[in-house]
Amino acid sequence: MNTQKFATADLHLIDTDRINDSPGPYGMSFGFELKPLVRSIKTVGLLNVPVLIEDGKDAKTVISGYRRIQAVKSLKWDNIPCRVIQKSESSPLECLLLNLHENLATRNLNNVEKGMVLSHLNSYLPLNEIMKDYMPLLDLPSNEEKFDLFLKIEKELDENIKIYLARGHISLQGVRMLLDMDPASRLSVFGLISNLKFNINQQIQLINYLIDISHITKASVIELLKDQPLENIRLNDNLNTPQKAKAVLRLLRTRRFPSLTEAEKTFNKMVSKLDLPERVRIDPPLFFESPDYRLEILFKEGKELREKIGRLFKMDGIEEIGNPWERGAW
Amino acid sequence: MGERRLVKDLNIKKVIVEKGVSGQEFAQQILRRLPDIPVQTIKENESKAVHDIQNMGKETLHLLPYKGEFLKPCPGTREYICCGYQILNVATNCPLDCSYCILQSYFNQPYLKTFVNLEQGVEQVLKIIDSNPDLVFRIGTGEFTDSLAIDPITRWSDWLLPLFSKRKNAVLELKTKTDNIRGLLTSKFRDRIIVSWSLNSPFIAVGEEHRAASLKKRLEAARQCQSEGFVVGFHFDPLIPHPKWKEEYTKTLELLDKYIDPKGIIWISLGSLRFMPGLKPIIRRRHPDTCVLDGEFIMGLDGKMRYFKPIRMELYSYMRKNLEKWHPDPGLYLCMESHDVWQKSMGWSPETSNGLKRYLDRRVVEIFG
Repeated sequence: MNTQKFATADLHLIDTDRINDSPGPYGMSFGFELKPLVRSIKTVGLLNVPVLIEDGKDAKTVISGYRRIQAVKSLKWDNIPCRVIQKSESSPLECLLLNLHENLATRNLNNVEKGMVLSHLNSYLPLNEIMKDYMPLLDLPSNEEKFDLFLKIEKELDENIKIYLARGHISLQGVRMLLDMDPASRLSVFGLISNLKFNINQQIQLINYLIDISHITKASVIELLKDQPLENIRLNDNLNTPQKAKAVLRLLRTRRFPSLTEAEKTFNKMVSKLDLPERVRIDPPLFFESPDYRLEILFKEGKELREKIGRLFKMDGIEEIGNPWERGAW
Repeated sequence: MGERRLVKDLNIKKVIVEKGVSGQEFAQQILRRLPDIPVQTIKENESKAVHDIQNMGKETLHLLPYKGEFLKPCPGTREYICCGYQILNVATNCPLDCSYCILQSYFNQPYLKTFVNLEQGVEQVLKIIDSNPDLVFRIGTGEFTDSLAIDPITRWSDWLLPLFSKRKNAVLELKTKTDNIRGLLTSKFRDRIIVSWSLNSPFIAVGEEHRAASLKKRLEAARQCQSEGFVVGFHFDPLIPHPKWKEEYTKTLELLDKYIDPKGIIWISLGSLRFMPGLKPIIRRRHPDTCVLDGEFIMGLDGKMRYFKPIRMELYSYMRKNLEKWHPDPGLYLCMESHDVWQKSMGWSPETSNGLKRYLDRRVVEIFG
């Protein structure tokens, strides 16, 4: 690539309404906040000029500086200084690489933008070259599976989910799971996620539960989301949004793990029947997998400890504590 | 079935040979058995990860030298009781396509990789065996591949049976879901060789064990091996609860009774499905209609997903009750289970991995002397 031709291209004052408004074939900006840039340009002016290419018609296409142009347009500038190169002077790949390297030098691309870059590169370069030379530049592992995921993000993901992803409100893992769903289910699940503001871990749990339950019951994800108990939680005015999210997960967990949740319920009932001293608790092992139960006694001094141990020693029913499924409670 | 037909059924479309190994006798023999298959020679480590998550390169045979230790202990964990099995690493990946198979995690290392420096590797293994005459080595080739699935091409049976038959402190277990026993039957060696079959319910065998032989064919092969003087074993692993699982597993036990004399069985293992969490999305993508992920899986003490404890105990207790009805001492053991699960579902526990090792070593001595 002739690295000088962009730097030495002629400077022109271009009417802003003659610059193509779309990000175009070299664009890699998504989900950005324009205000700080507008403030900067308003205060100190345009420090770096955008680069445009003549597209053969009247309008010009942005190679680099898409955000700056958007900022200037929002400031109602009539024109903007730009470097302009002719179509014959540069190949589309060179234009794309100019914008890529300029962006990589100044900021981190979000995951949607990485998808845009890979999708653009895919038009010009063979896959092995993209994996070898460009995925590492984007801090991505060089494998085809990741490449496919990012391509899908660019091509198949709905705009609202892209915004969520760009802002870091949903993880890549969550997006991958949503992409494995059919579009209608994906939108329904995303509706619930954004409505009840599930955090990133909760999103993964939610999607996992829904997919699993859908497989087990042969009901579609959309049907599951219309289930009356779930609907009741959504419409319950006594719960705030985080409480609703937790209640939805509890409900789905009970459906996904009927035996485990039954064991937990039975165990809690067993413990609640005991008259445990304050700040004393008995916990089951995680998922009842280890054979060891845990007794926790909080105390301020030895006298209190002795008193609590004494009460525990004499406590009726304590020998009943154990695996719920072996206690005839099921 | 003719030898050529067996080879053809494996549907190998290409052979990749790493430079420097094509001259090895073992590689030469394999190539002779695949006369019409295109061969590509590549440099060492040149094989690229291909994105073939669906097929995993199962139609490509990759001949290469193995650089690591050929004999490795089975990767047990200290949280559960492990049997002290040793793996003879002859190959990785498998032409079968069981939906629950852990080898799917290695889809980025595709192809049926066959290690052609086996002769030198086995030589080292035999030295270890011979220099520890007081130890019993229970060795198997069926951990990272099916022991017999590509035997029509590799004829491991020709190489390995004579070597292990001579050892008095080792047994070689060939674990399979196929009926590829021709190589075994043409061998004159029987001593110290165990041929074992992975079994499951008909529901799982048909729906989840793709490209494996039917249960009937597996058991017919087992019967033939047994009648030809081989010691046999069985592995109900992974046990998978599914609708009407008790009736379904009973059908397999009935078939077992129909075909096999329980007196000649060295052991029957029971294990329930377990997998690293990362395998789940791979299974979902490769086998969208599978039922193997439907169970109540919890994170086990070893970081693997496994069924909630009472579900496992119910599976084992049911199988134990019925297998012990068939024969009072079928050599039952649990694979990777805890002391309390042993105690409650089997009625006894070896307490530790060493205890289980001793139990199985004793079975070897009882059967082979």
